Amino acid sequence: MKRPYLLLASAALLLSLLVPLVVRSDYMLQVLFRIYLFAALGLAWNLVGGYAGQLSLGHAAYFGAGAYGLALFTRAGLPIWLALVLLIALALIFALLIGGVSFRLRGPYFALSTIAFAEVLHAGVKNLPRITGGDVGVQVPALFQGHVHRSFYLCAVLLTAAAATATVVISRSRFGYRLMAIREDQDTALSVGINTARTKLNALLASAAFTALGGALYGSLFLFIVPDQVLSIDISNEIAIVAMLGGAGTVLGPMVGSAVLETAAELFKNVFQEAHLLIYGILLVVVVLFLPEGIVGGARALLRRRAAKSRGTPA
Amino acid sequence: MDLFTALQAIINGILTGALYALVGMGMALIFGVMRIVNFAHGTFMMLGMYAAYELFLHTGVNPYYGFPLVGLAMFALGYGIYQGFLRPIHGKSDFMQILLTLGIGLAITDSIQLIFGADYHQINLPLLEKNLHFGSHITVNAPWLVSFAIALVAGGGLYFFVMHTMMGRAARAIAQNRGAAPLMGIHLHRVQAFWFGLGVAVAAVAGSLLLPVFYLYPGVGDQFTLKAFVMVVLGGMESIVGAALAGLVLGVAESLTSLYWGNEWALALDFVLFLLVLSLRPGGIFGSQRA
Repeated sequence: MKRPYLLLASAALLLSLLVPLVVRSDYMLQVLFRIYLFAALGLAWNLVGGYAGQLSLGHAAYFGAGAYGLALFTRAGLPIWLALVLLIALALIFALLIGGVSFRLRGPYFALSTIAFAEVLHAGVKNLPRITGGDVGVQVPALFQGHVHRSFYLCAVLLTAAAATATVVISRSRFGYRLMAIREDQDTALSVGINTARTKLNALLASAAFTALGGALYGSLFLFIVPDQVLSIDISNEIAIVAMLGGAGTVLGPMVGSAVLETAAELFKNVFQEAHLLIYGILLVVVVLFLPEGIVGGARALLRRRAAKSRGTPA
Repeated sequence: MDLFTALQAIINGILTGALYALVGMGMALIFGVMRIVNFAHGTFMMLGMYAAYELFLHTGVNPYYGFPLVGLAMFALGYGIYQGFLRPIHGKSDFMQILLTLGIGLAITDSIQLIFGADYHQINLPLLEKNLHFGSHITVNAPWLVSFAIALVAGGGLYFFVMHTMMGRAARAIAQNRGAAPLMGIHLHRVQAFWFGLGVAVAAVAGSLLLPVFYLYPGVGDQFTLKAFVMVVLGGMESIVGAALAGLVLGVAESLTSLYWGNEWALALDFVLFLLVLSLRPGGIFGSQRA
């Protein structure tokens, strides 16, 4: 990373960490928590959906694995740190299973199969009340005591920072270039010797690990989870929308997308109560029709055009 | 005795399956033939249900007579949505189509919730209380039988339309080769808009027919989007008959699953079937080819 960017990123992280000194309201911290949490989830999704161009609409599976993993492993008497390790392992196992089958499919079939897996898991958790608590739900242990909203907020910031760092590192590595080659043309990627199945699976593994941590954080904030909350298709959609809105395949995109989407949803919720999905829908349609590269991609194209104009050369 | 319970479940499954089949045929037109990945299919079915409900509430027209009207209105909506939203992104990746139709579906579902609320509704038809008895063990609820008959006629009509009209021929030509079809004088967008509209209309008609026997709420269509994809894949992408048969299979499989394992597993079964077919027999159970 070039030095000025590194400085900017460090400054942004520092500022984010200092926010709780100024913002004291629990409500505001909770909104900010959600923004950072979904920024991290969007970044994680972005590895598969953005860089590798594989539209996963089943990330609720890993999110749910995180939330339920934390709840069920600690209920079994394990300490929290071990539960955190195991829930990541659980998400990785899911990723291996889902990726192993789904990555053999392309286009709409891939997207559909990821939904199918997440829904099978959703139904399974609902229908096995002895193990999972079923529809009634299950208690999740508190990760923090005392100033919970502050701690959760800081955790979400750190998770976002970790996911962003991983994204920067990956996008500049050979692995990242392989992912982008797969996005551009899978057959060509295959023909130049890229093991597309392995590469996509590796991206999914990284993505699933971050998503599971996000799920655990989310579950622990609510202290109680039900399947329709953490395993629903709405979670999968929201994660994908955040990344697409901001700009898939960019580092900044998911963060910008989360800030815009979660703020819009929060404002909308105050006016119309439950109908925040309307704003998701409208934003999705607007993005596809007018901003196919997302906010960041669109802004970049605009800047490039302006720079070209001032130089007097066509863009 | 147990045999009769199973037989009853199979009959119920076939009756439900006929309506699934209609939803699936609509999707076969849109996704299988026109290759438009429509994630709002269930939403259109739900809109059909609300349209039929409002029609019944305000004019007293029973959905069994009102369904052509609902179908016509939804055809116009589908045609408009194709021309206004899908046509501009023509030629872009499936990715974009999925996100666009997902967005349209979310926006419509939530608008309905804003307008009509999230409450459950149901209509009361005198027909609902009529049951037909076959022997001492088998009972068939009359409205299901009426829906079944209408679905059969509508499905048959649709098949005829695809196989024996110019519009149908144009659709099949596009399915065979979308590059060459426009060169043969087929107006691609007009034909695609027509069949997209018709697919939406068929889903809405299925919705009208489901109204008397289902609870109505804004999210009622959600699971049908996925079910419709399952049917199209099961039936073999380009086969409308395949999708219809897959609808019947799904209906019976779900009914038996509910009977033996409980209702909640029924939906999971759909997806397990779907994943199995996609990974083991991608041409579908009834189809042989795969584009």
